[in-house]
Amino acid sequence: MVLIAGLLLLVQASVFLAVNTANIQSARQQIDDALQITAGQFHKTIEDREQRLLSAARLMSRDYPFKQAYATGEHGTILSALENQSARVFANIMMLLTLDIDVIADTLRPELSTTPFEFPELIERAEEDQYGEAADIRFFNGKPYQVVVVPLFTPAPSAWIISGFLISDVFARDLQKHTHSHVSLLHVSERGESTVVASTLDKQLREMLPVELNKNQWDIDRSRLFSLGGQEYVYLVTTVWGNKTRGVVAVLQRSLDDALKPYRRLRNILMMVFLVGLGLSMAGGVFMARSVTKPVKLLAEGAKKIREGDYNHHVNITQRDEMGELAESFNSMVTGLAERDKVRNLLGKVVSPEVAEELLRKDIELGGEEREVTILFSDVRNFTSMCEGKKPTEILTLLNNYLTRVSAVIEEHGGVVDKYIGDAVMALFGAPLKHDNDPSRAVATALGMCDALSVMNVELVERGLAPLGVGIGINTAEVVAGNMGSNNRLNYTVVGDGVNLASRLEGLTKQYGATVITSGSTRDAAADYAYRELDRVQVKGKKEVVSIFEPMGLDAELPDKLANEVERYHQGLAAYRQRDWKLALSIFESLTNAVPETRLYTVYLERIHRLRTSRLPEDWTGVHTYETK
Amino acid sequence: MFKVIKLLVVLSVLSGFCTGVYAATVTTLVKNDKGKPVEDAVVYVVAKSKAARKAAKRGVIDQVDKEFVDYVTVVKVGTPISFPNHDQIRHHVYSFSKPKTFEIPLYLGTPAKPVIFNKPGVVVLGCNIHDWMSAYIYITDTSYFGITDKQGNASIKNLPAGKYNVKVWHPQLRGNSDATAQSVALSASSRKNVNINIKQRRLWSVRRAPTMVGGTYR
Repeated sequence: MVLIAGLLLLVQASVFLAVNTANIQSARQQIDDALQITAGQFHKTIEDREQRLLSAARLMSRDYPFKQAYATGEHGTILSALENQSARVFANIMMLLTLDIDVIADTLRPELSTTPFEFPELIERAEEDQYGEAADIRFFNGKPYQVVVVPLFTPAPSAWIISGFLISDVFARDLQKHTHSHVSLLHVSERGESTVVASTLDKQLREMLPVELNKNQWDIDRSRLFSLGGQEYVYLVTTVWGNKTRGVVAVLQRSLDDALKPYRRLRNILMMVFLVGLGLSMAGGVFMARSVTKPVKLLAEGAKKIREGDYNHHVNITQRDEMGELAESFNSMVTGLAERDKVRNLLGKVVSPEVAEELLRKDIELGGEEREVTILFSDVRNFTSMCEGKKPTEILTLLNNYLTRVSAVIEEHGGVVDKYIGDAVMALFGAPLKHDNDPSRAVATALGMCDALSVMNVELVERGLAPLGVGIGINTAEVVAGNMGSNNRLNYTVVGDGVNLASRLEGLTKQYGATVITSGSTRDAAADYAYRELDRVQVKGKKEVVSIFEPMGLDAELPDKLANEVERYHQGLAAYRQRDWKLALSIFESLTNAVPETRLYTVYLERIHRLRTSRLPEDWTGVHTYETK
Repeated sequence: MFKVIKLLVVLSVLSGFCTGVYAATVTTLVKNDKGKPVEDAVVYVVAKSKAARKAAKRGVIDQVDKEFVDYVTVVKVGTPISFPNHDQIRHHVYSFSKPKTFEIPLYLGTPAKPVIFNKPGVVVLGCNIHDWMSAYIYITDTSYFGITDKQGNASIKNLPAGKYNVKVWHPQLRGNSDATAQSVALSASSRKNVNINIKQRRLWSVRRAPTMVGGTYR
C-alpha cells in the first residue's frame, strides 16, 4: 500500500516538476522575446521623438516671424521668440547659436549670451550632415536632454537652432506605456559610475539598480536575470547614447514573477490535482488496508491461536466479500478442528492412543488385515473371591489403581491395551503399530507388570490389604487385526487362534506357579530373554501340542546360580520325558530341596509319582493334556 | 536637388591711372581648400589708391521655376536691381541682410520699382513662400569684378596699369574676404594670372517641395 502510494507520489511529483520547469523556461523565453521587442520599441520611440524634434525645429528655421525676430539682433527679443517656439512644440530646451558656435540665447539659461557652446562637436557633426542636422543626448544643468540641431536659414544659414526634450521620469513612464516594461535610463560617466537619470522604478529600487547592475556582468542587448528588492527580474541593457563605458544606457526590466503569474495559477491547479490524487490514493489505501490487511492480520492471529491449541478462538470479520467468506471458512475449520480434537481426546481415553490414531488415520470400516501380533493376557488371581465382602466402589478403586499401573507399563513398552475385561487386560504388540521387537517388548512388559505389581503390593500391605497375584500369558501369532463389530459400533481388535492361546497360557500360570507363560513362538521371537521350558501341553479345544515357557529375565543378566538351576531343571525335564523316572525324581527332589518355593518342581514330582505307577502309551512324549480351561 | 550655380565672374577694377589704356587683364583661378575649382565666386580687383568710380549698371535677378536666377550677382554700390517674377504663382522676396533689408510681399510680374543697393556688403535673398529659394548679391565699391565659371576661372579685362589687390568672395567662404587678397602689379596690355585658394563652408541642402503648381512661362 505504502509502495503504491509512494509510486503514485513519485509519478505525480515528476509530472509536476516537469511542467513547472517547462513553464518557467517558457516564461523566461517569453520575457526575453518581449524584452528584445521592447528594446526595438524603445529605440523606435527615441527615434520618433527625434523626428518630432527635428520637424518642429525645421519649421522654426523657416518661420518668417522668427527670422524677423532674429534679424533684430536683440537678445531679449530672440530669447522671447525662442520661448514662444518651445511652447509651441513642448520642447524643454531651445537655444540659438552663431555659426561660430557661440550661444546667442538659451531658454534654459536666459542670462547666457555670446558664450561658447559647451558641445561644439555636436555642431561640427551637424556641419558635416547634408542638411546641417544632428541629434543626440546631452546633459544641460546636469539633466539629460534629447536634442536636435538644425541651421536657421535667413535664407542663408545664419545660426544654429537647438531644440530638445528633457529625459525624465515622465519620459520613462511614457515608454513604459508602450512597452509594459520598467524603463530606467542610466548615465555612465567616464569613471564608470552609473547614475539613474530617469526611471519608472520607485525611489528605493532606483537607488539599488546601479549597485545590482554592477554586481552582475552585463552586456549590451543581452537579457539576464537579477534580483531587485527581493523580486526576480529579467533585464536588458541597451545603448541610448555613447557606449557601455561612457554614455547613457537604458535598462529595460520585466518582473519574472508577474510573467509567471498565469503559470503559477496553472501550478496551483496542478498542485491541487496532485494533492487530491494523493488524498484519494491514501483513502483508497486505507480502505484496502481495512478490507484486506486487517482481516488477513486477524486470520493470521487466529491461525496462531490454533497452533497454540486454542480452538475456542473465532475470527470476527463481518465483511460481505471474499475476506468475509474466508473468515467464515476459517471459523468452520476451527469448529471442525475443535470437534476432531474432542473426539480424539475421548477416543484416546476409550481406546489406546495408538488405536485412536489408527482409527483417525484411516477411514473406519469393517474388516482387517493379517499380521503377526504378540498378544498379552493378564489376570488377577482369585479376583472374584477377593471381591467378596468388599464394597463395589472399593473394588473399582482397587481395580482402577491396578489397571492404571499395568496399562502404564504396557504403553511404556509400546504395547496397546486392546481391552479390559473386568480384572483382565488384553494387550497387543505389533498392532496397530509395528516395532522390530514386538515379542521382546511383550516379554519385557510382562516382567515390568510383575515389578509394578510388587510395588503396588507393598502399598496394599501397608494399608492392611491383601496383596494381588497375577498371571500373564503371551503368544506371538499371525492373527487378523482390524475393526470388528457392527456397522454402527466398531472395535479395533485382533482375532484368531493365537489370541485364544494367549488366553489359555494365562490360565495355565497357576498350574505351574509361574507368573508369566509364553508360547514357543514368542520365546523364539524374543530370544534375548532366558526361559525355562515349563511343559508341553495340549490345551482344551486344541489338537496342537504347544511348548510353554517361563521367561526368567534378560539372558545377558541372568545370575549364574539361576542359570545353573534352569540347566538342572532342563536335565530333569529331559529325564522325565524319556521316562527315566529315577533320574528325574532325583533331579526334581534336589531342586525342590534347594528351592522349595518353586511350585514347578513339586508339580513334576507329583506327576512322576503318579506316572511311574501308570501304564503309559508307547508314543508318550510327556505332553500334558488339559481338559479344562 | 543641387541648385545649378550660374557662373558669374565679377572683376572690380579701380583704376589708379584714369587716362591709361585699358588693356591689362587679370585672370583668376579660384580653388577651395580641397583643390576643387570654385564656381560663383566673386573676384574683384581693388586699386591700392583711390580712383574714380565707374558708373553703375542696372541689375536683374529673375525668379524662374521657383529659383532665383542668378544665384550670385555682383554689383557696384548704388546699383538698382529689379526682381521680375516669371512664374505663375506669387513670390515674396525678402532680405534680412544688413546692407539692404527689404521685402517685396507676394507679387506677380515685375515690381514697379527696382531695389537700390547703396551699401557695400552681402545681401542674401530669400522667398518667404519657398524655403529653398535663395540668392546672393555682392555689393562692392569697385567696378572691376567677375564671377567664376564651373572651372573656377574668371577674367577681369580693361584694367588700367597699376597695382591692385585681387580678392574673392563666395557664399560659402569661411572667413573674411579681405583675407583672400593677393596683390598684383599690372603694366599696360599685360595679362596676369592669379591663383587664389579659399576655405569653404559646407553647403546644406534645403529640401525642395515637389512641383505641383506654378512653373514657368515656357
